[in-house]
Amino acid sequence: MKTLASLAALTLCLVAAAAETASGDAANGKRLFMTYGCYECHGTVGAGGGVAGPRIAPNPLPFLGVKAKLRTASGRMPVYSEIVLKDAEIADIYAYLQSIPAGKSAHEIDLLNR
Amino acid sequence: MPRRTKSEDAEQSALGRRGFLKAATLAGTGAIASAGAIGPQANVPEGAKPESAGAATGHGPKSPPRHSVQLTSRESEQGAPPHLEGPSHTTCGSDFMVDVLRNLGIDYVAAIPGNTFKGLHESIINYGMTTTPALEHISCMHEEISVAIAHGYAKIAGKPMACMMHSTVGLQHGSMAIYNAWADRVPVFAIVGAQLDAAKRRSYVDWAHSVFDGPALVRDFTKFDDTPISLSHFAESANRAYKFSMTPPYGPVLLAVDQNLQEDPIEAGASASIVKRVQASPSRGDDAAVLEAARWLVAAQNPVIVADRAARTPQGLALMIELAEALQAAVVDMYGRMNFPWRHPLNQTRQQAQQISAADVILGLELTDFWGVTNGRLAPGAKRISITAGDLYLKANYQDFERFTPVDLAIAADAEATLPYLIEAIRKLTTSSRRSVFKSRGAQLARDHQDSLERSRADAAVGWDIQPITTARMCAELYEQIRTEDWALCNGTVFQNYWPQQLWTAAHHYQYIGDSGAYGLGYLPGATVGAALAHSKHGRLAVAIGGDGDLMFAPGALWTAAHHKIPLLYVVHNNRAYHQEVMFVQMMANKRNRGIDRAHIGNAITDPNVDFAKFANGLGVYAEGPITDPKDLAPALKRAIAVVKRGEPALVDVVSQGR
Repeated sequence: MKTLASLAALTLCLVAAAAETASGDAANGKRLFMTYGCYECHGTVGAGGGVAGPRIAPNPLPFLGVKAKLRTASGRMPVYSEIVLKDAEIADIYAYLQSIPAGKSAHEIDLLNR
Repeated sequence: MPRRTKSEDAEQSALGRRGFLKAATLAGTGAIASAGAIGPQANVPEGAKPESAGAATGHGPKSPPRHSVQLTSRESEQGAPPHLEGPSHTTCGSDFMVDVLRNLGIDYVAAIPGNTFKGLHESIINYGMTTTPALEHISCMHEEISVAIAHGYAKIAGKPMACMMHSTVGLQHGSMAIYNAWADRVPVFAIVGAQLDAAKRRSYVDWAHSVFDGPALVRDFTKFDDTPISLSHFAESANRAYKFSMTPPYGPVLLAVDQNLQEDPIEAGASASIVKRVQASPSRGDDAAVLEAARWLVAAQNPVIVADRAARTPQGLALMIELAEALQAAVVDMYGRMNFPWRHPLNQTRQQAQQISAADVILGLELTDFWGVTNGRLAPGAKRISITAGDLYLKANYQDFERFTPVDLAIAADAEATLPYLIEAIRKLTTSSRRSVFKSRGAQLARDHQDSLERSRADAAVGWDIQPITTARMCAELYEQIRTEDWALCNGTVFQNYWPQQLWTAAHHYQYIGDSGAYGLGYLPGATVGAALAHSKHGRLAVAIGGDGDLMFAPGALWTAAHHKIPLLYVVHNNRAYHQEVMFVQMMANKRNRGIDRAHIGNAITDPNVDFAKFANGLGVYAEGPITDPKDLAPALKRAIAVVKRGEPALVDVVSQGR
């Protein structure tokens, strides 16, 4: 029963996530990503920066997970309240993260296969 | 770096100094003594040409030229400074000091000039550099660079370089670098000039540059200091300083050397002896404690070895491998030194969180921040063993000793010196059944290491072609150009996300030297030049990846590399900001709900962007850049390395991601 309830909650989350991200503006999200300095720790395409910040793209976490992380961050990550980062802005940033292509895999790069 | 030995001048210099030998008894019994007599007379080469004497050095059979001194306009200060008055002379305390330094095996003195050590300066260039074994002078642009050069040099040479600083202001400039050496446990032999006799201070500037107790400024982070008042006192204190500096835990030492002691003639009948060099053996752990540690490690299911500055020498690295393989234990390298081969199957540094959490016994070797490694990760019942020389020597004021860790077994001893005994005890206690357990543990760790390598490669591929260039791409491209060479990396890699350790193969002790120690900015340019100088004797290709902010603190080090033709490839990780600090300001701004769109102010190094290639060119260094397209990296690196192989420094400016 508990499992079923969890699955239902997860489904609702995913639906909600899909609904929210659908309205995101990737171009504005990229602008915000740079303006707000997200790239300082996560890199301009979310590749990550080691201890400074983890990889967040391509294939970002579900939207609600990203939003929760922003609102209740710990450690080195700053907390982003609604006052400094609106829900709509998060949606735009998320749309940007989703738009980042996967790029080459390590197997396709000679230098990484020495 | 070519050494200049002005042998032609030596005979005349020696003749002129025989009075010195009559006056001062130089009874050396150290390393130099074993090769021959100490002092100027011993260094006269056969076939020296008297006619050339004095042409380059200013020394000859006659008295040296009178000094020209810039005087102030104040009436009371007119006339020659008192300490330069009187007859010229050819015997001086600072020549004796040069011999003392040589006897300690010191090859180089790095310095920017200062009038409180002008006597020693003159002795180095006209006596130390022209006679053998040569004591070379390294010209610097800042005292912080002088100390950092000595810091980097010692980590490769395994012995101190000397550096000289002007009284008060010079030492103030150099103090941060001394603190780095202290926190990094590196021997540096520092000298600061002093004018102790108030009656001989000739101007208001001299008074501003005088201090009653100069070394007090850095006493909290030096192992020993003294202000000798006679040449014999200098000889003894120099030896004591050297001995303390080279006894683990290593550290910087400082002598304040009085101007008059350097410059005054040695009076007839005076006696000063060079003292035999003494080096103390490092302390090893108590037998019972070592045996107890071995018992715990052999019985453990998941022992983890965490090494920070454990491998002081190449032998230390070999012992680390022996220890890990004897136990088939995971090794986590905190990268304070080259403690363990980066591609060794037991190297589990990338999985340190998992390894520490699963460990039942954790052995910290010269691990300064034991608390930080295990905090929040320590499994119930897990035991911690510490072997560190840090427990043998502590000062209270500066807190680089990190948070107190209640370990279960603290062995106050040098880790490297203790390892042979620990390994022996482990071998004796290892039964065949334990050996079988170790073997299967090792096999699993080897698989984990391979998995982590694959993950690193996958992570490195992300953003491979983007601009600004990723640090992974920058490091991979650099490695591609050097991997078949005898290369040595001269920088810590935290700001490059440890990509070299993740992607490169390194197995020699000299291939990595750790970071600054205290994270005082301005370390790397000087330290890299010092390390490269030490590498140049072995024909190694010295490379460094350094931040733009760090380079802006001490760019004059590049001039030193160009001036002395020290081969070095300096890759600028130019992320155009103090990125670490951006994060902190962002946190503050968000905590106050004021937004972070202004967090770059004071942190960004833009508007204008610094053109490091032009900058380096202006300092006499070959340079490439700014490189913005990753495709341009390989050719630029190739061209720069060709220059380095010719024996000169080169710089490549890479516009890069933050980390």
